[in-house]
Amino acid sequence: MTAGAIWVLLTIVGELAFLSLDIFGDAASEQGTFIDEAFILLVVLGIPVFTLVITIIGYVVLKFRAKPGKLEDAEPVRTHRKWVGFWLVWSTILCLAVIVHPGYTGLLELRSTANDEPDLTVNVTGRRWQWVYEYEGRDVKLLMKDSMLVLPNDSLIRFNITSEDQDVIHSFWIPAFRMKIDAVPGLMTTMDVNTTEIGHFNDDVNFRVQCAELCGLDHSLMFTRIEVVEPEEFEKWIADQAA
Amino acid sequence: MAVVKPLVTGIVYALIGFAIGAGISFGITSLTGEDATEPLIVLGYVFAVIGWLMGVGMWKVWGAEWFGKSTSHDPTGGWERYLRFNTDHKVIGVQYITALAVVFLLGGLLAMLLRWELAGAAQTVFTNNTYNTTMSLHGIMMIAVAVAAIMGGFSNFVLPLIIGAEDVAFPRVNAMSFWIVPPVVVLLLLSPLFGGFDTGWTAYPPLATQAPIGALLFELAFLTFGISSILGGLNFIATIVTQRAPGMTWGRLPIFAWSVLAASVISLTATQWVAYGLLMIIFERIFNMVFFSPPGGNALLYEHVFWFYSHPAVYIMILPAFGAELEIISHFARKPIFAYRWVVRAFALIVFLSFIVWAHHLFTSGMGENLHGPFMILTELISIPTGVVFLSALGTLWRSKIRLKVPLLFALGVIFNFAIGGLTGIFLADVATDIALQDTYFVVAHFHYTIMGGEIFAIFAAGYYWFPKITGRMYNETLGRIHFALMFILYNITFLVMFIPGTIGMNRRVATYPPEFEFLNLIVSIAAFGLGLAFLPWVYNMLNSWIRGEKAPDNPWHAKTLEWQTTSPPPLENFDEFPVVTGDPYGYGDETVVHATFEQSTKPVSAEGDQVNASSN
Repeated sequence: MTAGAIWVLLTIVGELAFLSLDIFGDAASEQGTFIDEAFILLVVLGIPVFTLVITIIGYVVLKFRAKPGKLEDAEPVRTHRKWVGFWLVWSTILCLAVIVHPGYTGLLELRSTANDEPDLTVNVTGRRWQWVYEYEGRDVKLLMKDSMLVLPNDSLIRFNITSEDQDVIHSFWIPAFRMKIDAVPGLMTTMDVNTTEIGHFNDDVNFRVQCAELCGLDHSLMFTRIEVVEPEEFEKWIADQAA
Repeated sequence: MAVVKPLVTGIVYALIGFAIGAGISFGITSLTGEDATEPLIVLGYVFAVIGWLMGVGMWKVWGAEWFGKSTSHDPTGGWERYLRFNTDHKVIGVQYITALAVVFLLGGLLAMLLRWELAGAAQTVFTNNTYNTTMSLHGIMMIAVAVAAIMGGFSNFVLPLIIGAEDVAFPRVNAMSFWIVPPVVVLLLLSPLFGGFDTGWTAYPPLATQAPIGALLFELAFLTFGISSILGGLNFIATIVTQRAPGMTWGRLPIFAWSVLAASVISLTATQWVAYGLLMIIFERIFNMVFFSPPGGNALLYEHVFWFYSHPAVYIMILPAFGAELEIISHFARKPIFAYRWVVRAFALIVFLSFIVWAHHLFTSGMGENLHGPFMILTELISIPTGVVFLSALGTLWRSKIRLKVPLLFALGVIFNFAIGGLTGIFLADVATDIALQDTYFVVAHFHYTIMGGEIFAIFAAGYYWFPKITGRMYNETLGRIHFALMFILYNITFLVMFIPGTIGMNRRVATYPPEFEFLNLIVSIAAFGLGLAFLPWVYNMLNSWIRGEKAPDNPWHAKTLEWQTTSPPPLENFDEFPVVTGDPYGYGDETVVHATFEQSTKPVSAEGDQVNASSN
């Protein structure tokens, strides 16, 4: 009983402590918002499991000790049908629950835009150690070194990503959107993002494209600053670029 | 001088072997006009390893008979018996443990260098290339420790004893699997002199095929280590199947032996995949064959082949750790292992599932999206058998009579740490959260929780637990407690905090990062330096106790498994009187369960033809 009470108490404290923290700011995409919620849910579900384990460890260490200097055997309980069954059933329920949500629902969320026509398509090519961006149909090409990747807010943006043929694997990651996919030589990968927030690298370092797959010497430095602006402003910017 | 003669001979033969191999290669390439450097290194290395093995004693013990000559082997002696080709599994166990303890400390020093660099956002200590090479070296060295310290080291020493055998099934193969490990270490330490390898231990092509010669040395090292692992797995399976003492039925087999059997199945089969993958990369480099590099090759193919080994490999590490942990908990809680049969079933299920979850490492790789769902589901299912191990550990402790000695402290640490490691694994099995967290410091913190917090803690538990049996002396309990307290606290600060930068946008394998993450990294670095210092009491305790420690009784823990029913350290063939097993080894609190009775020796002399029957040391 005591152990049960400690467990409940620790769980409540743990949950409140976690939920009162704001570990990551708002995601700037629909996909990212789902991912953040999934992350929080998994922590919320994980806390009671963790507190159960540490409660039992702490409790047995304090309570079930042999008398100092004495060698005593415990009551030889080899198994316990009910407890084993209880444990198996509950661990299976928890496992299946996270498979359904956020597992299966997450897959649906990530694929939900696959058949939609994007508002903007950006073709991305990785090469050591920079990114090249082409705004499809807009005649604008950007090199990482000299530029800021400007993207429109409230838009479905599709990135078509690859790496140059003689190059290596990179990974195209935008932390603010919580999304990434590898840039593989000889393969075209796709990443869809529905932007929901405006933002600028100078205010939030997560507005950046970062190479996330080790690609050799200057891997750490392979990033581009991002600015997400309102669509009208984006149109103005892109017209300036094309001119 | 006589003491180091086998080692010196080994080195001389290795050099001769290298000259022969390099000469042949040079001859061929000068005819064909190809670039000669890398083929020369590969062929030279192959011959050098053969020369090394023969020189260090394999010729005398084994090789000569292939040519109809007689062999001789005396596995006894003082500490010089550790410095040559020796078939005694206890000697081999100690060779692995001590060699890997050195590798562990070196890898730890590299980690501290990395944390020095990462303490600040800007570049301080390293250039980008030296950082990447240091990070890659730290990775592969610790992987080697994680695989071989428990399998090659403790399993080798303990397994034959705990099942009542005289030795492993193939003692000479066993000795060979140890002696091909030193070339691995030499290659890894040489690689920084040849341009290093900036590929990480994962060494994905095309990067791995384009990297400098240092990367070729890494590929050869990894491949050699794989061969050692395959042979080790084969040997342990054969040992457990054929060498158990009379009466040691499967239902009486100690849980540690079960866990080694489970890990060995993976070690024997999965390792062959990565070995082929590495061989194909070497062929790409030296023959310009095309497997993985576009155009013509498929870069994703290697990731599949690599993880088809490297995911099961984490279970080669963690399963024997679970086995040792449960073993220690039962003996120090004076209570039978709770739900033993369920644990064995769980081990079997983990082995099965371990082979069909690899692609969860590839959710962001660009592989077909149709694979995401199945691999997510299969991966998350592993939480059920893993949960059974927790059930068993906690169930054993419940209403037990705990003696809180150092081995048990570390075993409890395993439960605590692996709870965090396991729960954070779900974030990486879930496709949505993995897409955000893959390749970030969240992953780094997670696998350090499973491998270091789980397995390495279990290795320390095993180290303290079996220290009296291995050395015949007791370790210092107080120093052991200090080591545990420091390591447990500083370890948890280091890696708990490390989850945060990963969650908020810091990727892994970088020498520099945005200054926003500096404060958290500074905390991690300071804790990591403390963690490094936490191993000093351990080093002192082990060395000092081994030399000057109090003599250990045969069974200081009053444990019931067979390794404690013989002398400390055990005689050459393990038991002066042969055990006949009559019950399981966990009969605490139950007088009717007797694990074994001992009969006077009636067995014939060893089939190896050893002349010496005297107990070793």
